[in-house]
Amino acid sequence: MPEQPPIVFVVDDDDAVRASLERLIRSARFTVKTFASANQFLESGRPDVPSCLVLDVKLPGLGGLDLQRRLTESAISIPIIFITGHGDIPMTVRAIKAGAVEFLTKPFRDQDLLDAINQAIQLDLANRRSNAEIANLRERYESLTPREREVMQLVVAGLLNKQIAAELGTSEITIKVHRGQVMQKMRADSLADLVRISEKLNTRTAGQR
Amino acid sequence: MEVVITKKVDRLWSSIQLFLLGTAGLSLLTLVCFQYQVNSTTVALLYLIVIGLVSLEGNFVPAAIVSIIAYVCLDFFFTAPLFALGMNQILDVVAPITYVTSAFVITRLISRLRKANEERQRAQETLRKSQAELAHVTRVMTMGEIAASIAHEINQPLAAVVNNASACLRWLASDSLNLEEARDAAQAVVRDGKRAGEVIARIRAILRKTDPEKGPVDISRAIREVVSVVQDEAVRNNVNLRLDLTEDLPSVWGDRVQLQQVILNLLLNGIEATAQRPDGPREILIRSHPNGSEKILISVEDSGIGVDTQDVERMFDAFYTTKPHGLGMGLAISRSIIEEHGGELSAIPNDAVGTTFQFTLPTHRTNSYARTATNRFCR
Repeated sequence: MPEQPPIVFVVDDDDAVRASLERLIRSARFTVKTFASANQFLESGRPDVPSCLVLDVKLPGLGGLDLQRRLTESAISIPIIFITGHGDIPMTVRAIKAGAVEFLTKPFRDQDLLDAINQAIQLDLANRRSNAEIANLRERYESLTPREREVMQLVVAGLLNKQIAAELGTSEITIKVHRGQVMQKMRADSLADLVRISEKLNTRTAGQR
Repeated sequence: MEVVITKKVDRLWSSIQLFLLGTAGLSLLTLVCFQYQVNSTTVALLYLIVIGLVSLEGNFVPAAIVSIIAYVCLDFFFTAPLFALGMNQILDVVAPITYVTSAFVITRLISRLRKANEERQRAQETLRKSQAELAHVTRVMTMGEIAASIAHEINQPLAAVVNNASACLRWLASDSLNLEEARDAAQAVVRDGKRAGEVIARIRAILRKTDPEKGPVDISRAIREVVSVVQDEAVRNNVNLRLDLTEDLPSVWGDRVQLQQVILNLLLNGIEATAQRPDGPREILIRSHPNGSEKILISVEDSGIGVDTQDVERMFDAFYTTKPHGLGMGLAISRSIIEEHGGELSAIPNDAVGTTFQFTLPTHRTNSYARTATNRFCR
């Protein structure tokens, strides 16, 4: 998979600060897109590339923390770096608890911001990879027949072919065939591999609820 | 020391002038009366008028001298025997006593009146000074309340300066040398640095402690400067400030700092009242427009918690406050400032939500009240 160049989004209502952030981040060879308000950012189309969001806490209208919540609610995963002129502890705690990568108080050291951006982009890359992997596994899982899924569930639960056959009321031979199909379709090399795949699928399903 | 001497010389000079004037009056009167053979009693009364006029300046010595001269003239030219001095008639006794007594009484009364007047003026001056001082104190306190917002207002351009300077250094680093970008960033540093300076200058202007200084004020511009100071406070309270300012309004005659204090006060009250509302629109509308041909109307319309009709006037009382940390002087001082400028400050509950505070100010050319007030104080 070729790596696309990452984009850094900046949302700050102060013209001078916004322009200065763009200059600084651009000097570290990132592509930067700036917005004056949270709504502008929400309305803009975001290309599907690794990205992160540098977000001012205090914005007129929809505030930074509100935007963070809004993004989480609509299951948009983008790592956020908060910047603020006057950060108090409760505000910081709230932001970090809600998954912010970093919370910087203006004026900050350039390296602090750039480190945070690098970290956030790496995080987004990792998220994207694992999301892609899960999507892949899900696709494989979807290709199983209902019976094969039942068999897979019981195999992963640790039952022997004989026991599964008894459970489902068919012959051991049939189960063996199903089992072979499952291993092949899920591209599992071993029983342990299949268990691992199944876990990934399950945690992801549980996590999304 | 020098001042005392000058004053004494001045007083002596005005005494001499008075004396000369009185003597001239007497001479003229004597000449006319002598020509027309006016009887001595009438002349005595006419002399009394001259003495009364001279005494009006409140200076006893010239009045007394003129009295004596009047008596001498009366005795010499009008009472028998003519052209000779001497206490020959009852009028010769009564006239000098009457003259000196009236001169004494009138001069004393006048000088007392003058002293009382001076004291009143001094008291007025002191009152004006303490009002200005109180206004300054509340101004400082008000600015103290929004210190965090002010700090933020200064911090923003400073943050931009740091970012731009960092960017500049990065573009100058040998492995990513880009002079074009570096120059652009350095220019931004200059711009933002200037902006920080302007913010500080604006705040200093509001906190400045000087005697009120009246001049033409562009009220829309004054409003905009105040709005820039409280903008952050508004955002922090999630309140939107909307401006509807008429450009090219005739200027008003007044003290810019004091007028800005009134606007600052009304805006902060509005923000606070609006912030207390749990829901609904959170907006403050600031307007300036002409009101008739000779007045300007400035209004601050909030969508706050509002105020009961019966409490509207009480808000302007000193020490009336609804805030836990308030001094209760804001509106009282605002009203006295506006009245001192020849205008009126009032509050009206809105139909829907909130309150509108508004004040009128006479325009520069029509503000005769404020000008005479200034002149009076200038003396």
